[in-house]
Amino acid sequence: MYSEALLTGKDLPLSEALAMGGETTVIGLSIVFGVLVILMIVLMLFKVIFYKDPKKQTKKVNEAKQIGMKNVQGGAEAVYTTDKNHNEPYEPDEIPEDELVAILTAAVASSLNTSTYNLRIKSYRRVDGRQNAWNRAGLTETINNRY
Amino acid sequence: MIESFLNFLQNTGAAALFAYGGMEAIKTIVMIIIACLLLYLAIVKKFEPLLLMPIAFGMLLSNLPVLKDSPALMMHTEWFTDTQYMIDGHFIDVGKIVREGGLLDLLYLGVKLGIYPPLIFVGIGAMTDFGPLIANPKSILLGAAAQFGVFFTFVGALVLSALVPSIMFGVKEAASIGIIGGADGPTAIYVTKTLAPALLPAIAVAAYSYMALIPVIQPPIMKLMTRKKDRMIVMEQLRPVSKTEKILFPIIVTIVVALIIPDAVSLVGCLMLGNLLKESGVADRLAKTVQNELMNIVTIFLGVTVGATATASSFLSPQTIGIVVLGLVAFCFSTAGGLLLGNIMCWLTKGKVNPLIGSAGVSAVPMAARVSQQVGQKENPSNFLLMHAMGPNVAGVIGSAVAAGVFLAMFSNI
Repeated sequence: MYSEALLTGKDLPLSEALAMGGETTVIGLSIVFGVLVILMIVLMLFKVIFYKDPKKQTKKVNEAKQIGMKNVQGGAEAVYTTDKNHNEPYEPDEIPEDELVAILTAAVASSLNTSTYNLRIKSYRRVDGRQNAWNRAGLTETINNRY
Repeated sequence: MIESFLNFLQNTGAAALFAYGGMEAIKTIVMIIIACLLLYLAIVKKFEPLLLMPIAFGMLLSNLPVLKDSPALMMHTEWFTDTQYMIDGHFIDVGKIVREGGLLDLLYLGVKLGIYPPLIFVGIGAMTDFGPLIANPKSILLGAAAQFGVFFTFVGALVLSALVPSIMFGVKEAASIGIIGGADGPTAIYVTKTLAPALLPAIAVAAYSYMALIPVIQPPIMKLMTRKKDRMIVMEQLRPVSKTEKILFPIIVTIVVALIIPDAVSLVGCLMLGNLLKESGVADRLAKTVQNELMNIVTIFLGVTVGATATASSFLSPQTIGIVVLGLVAFCFSTAGGLLLGNIMCWLTKGKVNPLIGSAGVSAVPMAARVSQQVGQKENPSNFLLMHAMGPNVAGVIGSAVAAGVFLAMFSNI
């Protein structure tokens, strides 16, 4: 099937080398793409079958809440009330404000090398998305140091 | 007593070096220098030290001056490559190797019989998280596009053979050289031990050296092939992936690959076995063993024995230079192939895909993904592309194993 020149590389004509190369490239890349496209379709089906979009779910919950709110007065306030005996870890958006101010004061004091008594936090504001600078710096350092 | 002492002197390595005489002795010294240079790169420059160090030391061991037929000889490369030592000129004489072989001969059987690379793939599978790929299925195409370099180099090797009379690469050799572009050491070794065993040392050294040089090779190509505006694109956060999806993925991939290209199953199947051990969550002990102890033991055996095949006669040839050059071409074009499709996906999605993740389609996990992350972060410090780049990166492992399967299916029986 293959010429002696193609098998050994001895006295291989350029035209034969290019023809063989081109043919193998077309067949090979087609098979590689074919297999991976099939896997891509399988993975897309995974999304349809197994994944429930939280946005849609939240929408449904919100609709349910609105219906419930009409019946239960003060329900909304109850969601945001700070529980002093909260034992579960807080989500970033639900850290009680007094605790957040204490953390920020400590952080600023530490970075300025001063006492918290010399500082007074008047206002604070998130400057860059949900990820804070310390998280980001930590992540970058980890990525750069691993492997 | 003097006779005993003379006998001892005649059996020393220095005496053997003198006995080689002229060119042979110089070649031996050159090989020892190359081995020491590779050891330097592994230890001081930290180029893939976990693999390059065993390879370099294996090279050193097999090139130490020892008299021919001495029982101290650890490796007899000719038993594996020279047809006159084989049964019917085709099959390696396992009986002879077991009876008379040195330690490295016995360990090399694991390479020759295709045992080590799939075992390494079990370990890689147990260390791989396919979550980013499952979350973003389109990124699997980047893993396919990055195999472009493999086939381009296959053509390049044949063309080089046609143009340079002193270099003779047939289709089997060209396929083994091309697979360097897959940026996957075990895959390159697996293909080469089957198709072109004589080129194994040069291809293994080239593959692992270039994998270590990915942070140097890829960034200039990435900058050349992408626009600054596109490099700054922040991609949408990936969706969470359920445990069920992660468990089903390796099983389905194995079945799909087996149905289409059975020659790739020994690599892809083992990769997926390792991944299933990890993701199932019910075989933690096995998952830990395959990604630590088993992987480390096999890596030592594989590295030392592959290095030991690099004897002066097989390594110091114009073909080795050709392989080193073509290996670099393969890496560059694989990177370019991934970036090209990355740019197309960026254009088609109207700027939702950062084309830099395309270069991660070469399967060097996780170096290639890390390079995408670093280049992206230079343009936009708040951008984290790592998880997005891991999708094409792990797809590249599957892609290069499939490309290897294609070559094996086409050329192993001719």
